[in-house]
Amino acid sequence: MALITRKHILKPPAPAAPGVAISVQSLTKRFGDFTAVGGVSFEVGTGEIFGFLGPNGSGKTTTIRMLCGTIAPSSGGARVLGLDVAAEAEAVRARIGYMSQKFSLFEDLTVDENLRFYGGVYGLDGSRFTARRAHILKMADLIGRENELTENLSVGWKQRLALGCATIHEPELVFLDEPTSGVDPLARKDFWELLYELAASGVTLFVTTHYMDEAANCSRLAFIYRGDIVAIGTPDELRSREMRDRIFEVEVADTEAVLAALENDADVREVYMSGALLHVNMGEADGAAALLDVALARAGAAGAHASRVEPSIEDVFVHLVTREQRERSVI
Amino acid sequence: MNPRRIRLLMWKEVLQLLRDKMMLPLIFVMPVMQLVMFGYVVGADVTNLRTVIVDQDHTATSRAITEAFSSSGYFRIVDRLDSEGAIRPVMDAGDAAVAVLLPPGMERDLAGGEKVALEIVVDGSDSKTASVASGYAAQVVASFERERLTALGAMPDGPGIDARVRVLFNPALRSVNAMIPGLVTMVLMLSVSSIMSQAVVRERERGTLEQLFVTPIGRAEYVIGKVVPYVGIAIIQTLSVMMVGVFWFRVPFYGSVWVMTLGLLLFMLAGIGQGLIISMISHTRHQAQQTTMFILIPTMVLSGFIFPIESMPASIVPLTYLIPMRYILVIARSNAMKGAGFEALWPQFVAMAAFAVVMFGFGVSRFRKQLAD
Repeated sequence: MALITRKHILKPPAPAAPGVAISVQSLTKRFGDFTAVGGVSFEVGTGEIFGFLGPNGSGKTTTIRMLCGTIAPSSGGARVLGLDVAAEAEAVRARIGYMSQKFSLFEDLTVDENLRFYGGVYGLDGSRFTARRAHILKMADLIGRENELTENLSVGWKQRLALGCATIHEPELVFLDEPTSGVDPLARKDFWELLYELAASGVTLFVTTHYMDEAANCSRLAFIYRGDIVAIGTPDELRSREMRDRIFEVEVADTEAVLAALENDADVREVYMSGALLHVNMGEADGAAALLDVALARAGAAGAHASRVEPSIEDVFVHLVTREQRERSVI
Repeated sequence: MNPRRIRLLMWKEVLQLLRDKMMLPLIFVMPVMQLVMFGYVVGADVTNLRTVIVDQDHTATSRAITEAFSSSGYFRIVDRLDSEGAIRPVMDAGDAAVAVLLPPGMERDLAGGEKVALEIVVDGSDSKTASVASGYAAQVVASFERERLTALGAMPDGPGIDARVRVLFNPALRSVNAMIPGLVTMVLMLSVSSIMSQAVVRERERGTLEQLFVTPIGRAEYVIGKVVPYVGIAIIQTLSVMMVGVFWFRVPFYGSVWVMTLGLLLFMLAGIGQGLIISMISHTRHQAQQTTMFILIPTMVLSGFIFPIESMPASIVPLTYLIPMRYILVIARSNAMKGAGFEALWPQFVAMAAFAVVMFGFGVSRFRKQLAD
């Protein structure tokens, strides 16, 4: 039975178009009754930094695991670097890198032992290993700490070493599952510099994140919500296409009370915290600014300073998630 | 299958093990503790029973019997009392477990060819001690009687029944001789199943398992790289327990190394399967430890490791057939103590092999399947 299904999945072995790193068709994963990924299709071009966004539990990690060939899809299929992930999983894994949010280093091994392990697993020979090791130690700023236990390193160092181990074999494609979670903003910025360097050298990056400022760093984005892709495009496309609503930034003293009041206001479409400020989505209505002033007065914040802003990726994200929640609850 | 990757997996497993502060004690302290505990405490024979003598005869014969008790090694004379009535308070206080009552006129009656009743009172509150004590006491009296008659030139060649119990294989009835082979199997079981499950759960907890499977490492390579180091450790542990048994506790080994090795290998496979199954149903190392304990108790109680299966209630006995350790215990003890080989032990070997195939096969296949999901 499984074999017959597999044949159907394999039927479109279309040769990978030049410049396509990942090509996904109706990729589906079910765990019992629960559909983790519900038939997603998309393409990722070579050299792209492809951002994969979605709330927790929306199917991001499951999608990555299928693309890495560690779990088999229930139906549908994907070609990674021109190879079928289900049928040629081992060949795929030899050519990709993967870094998870846990950094997944052996904490009780030293820096050098971690490098030796992953270098050996990817079959690096003596001279190539020596060169890659030197490169990674320099890149991760770990020269002089080769014999330190990994568990004693700071989070930023661990993160860079994990990236080094994941790319020790110079893969053409790297999957990064929330690579910056739990890392301080400065280290996150440094880390993205490293990612830009990798991308500039022609490596395709597939990144999931829940930091919206990082999403803006991607060349293309896909939003996944409860196993479905609800929007896909460049950051600019998403901002202009998905978002005709007017967004206002409001500065008030008692943000929590005003937030609670505006949430129940009929004229306000969405309201949420953005940093220390409130972001208010007033929909596409003309005269939104006037309506907002009235709503603010009702919320007990009359005369609060509100200014219209260009929608950020975060605004788009909140908007898409709220829209999906609304539509799905109707059904 | 790539030998280099398997070698790397084993190398990192050993490194991790050597740096694990929780695992090392488990591997090296546990067997030593068990050896000391079971070898000295549980396995200790009943000796030095506190004994009081009530000698109402005061003759050479009564003194000779007292001497026979105290020189037997099993009884230690702690007090001499004058009357039978004085026994009870001493026993109630727990100051004596045995009392020997030598009635007045004993020597005279014996010389007159009469039958003399020598009374032995045993504290029955500890049933094991009581049964052992009465057995020893009967032996002491019987051998005294034999010597007396021999000296008189009477009985030995004469008519009558003389029951002599001859203990085969373990003439000194040393419990430790049976305990050490049992301990070898117990240590083996604990190290493969407990340490193995700990190692797998640890890898999953830390997320390194997930990382390994996006590299070219295959499932079979991973399983081999994971299992082999622990098999190595189990072999070292088993050998050291055996060495301590033979050279320190002086346990004789009459058996065949091959029979013993094959039995232990089959048992080890079952243990590995058990460890893998535990690792699959446990999310944390703590849970894995508790699951191991949960299995350990019925294993110790029902396998015959501590309590003989023959003395269990008939309704419990069928349960013991479900405990893999039951079979290896028979193999290890009979082989070490009696030199029993395959021709005598084949039923146990068949059962052991069946457990090994089922548990190891189920463990590995479920483990591989879980890794795939």
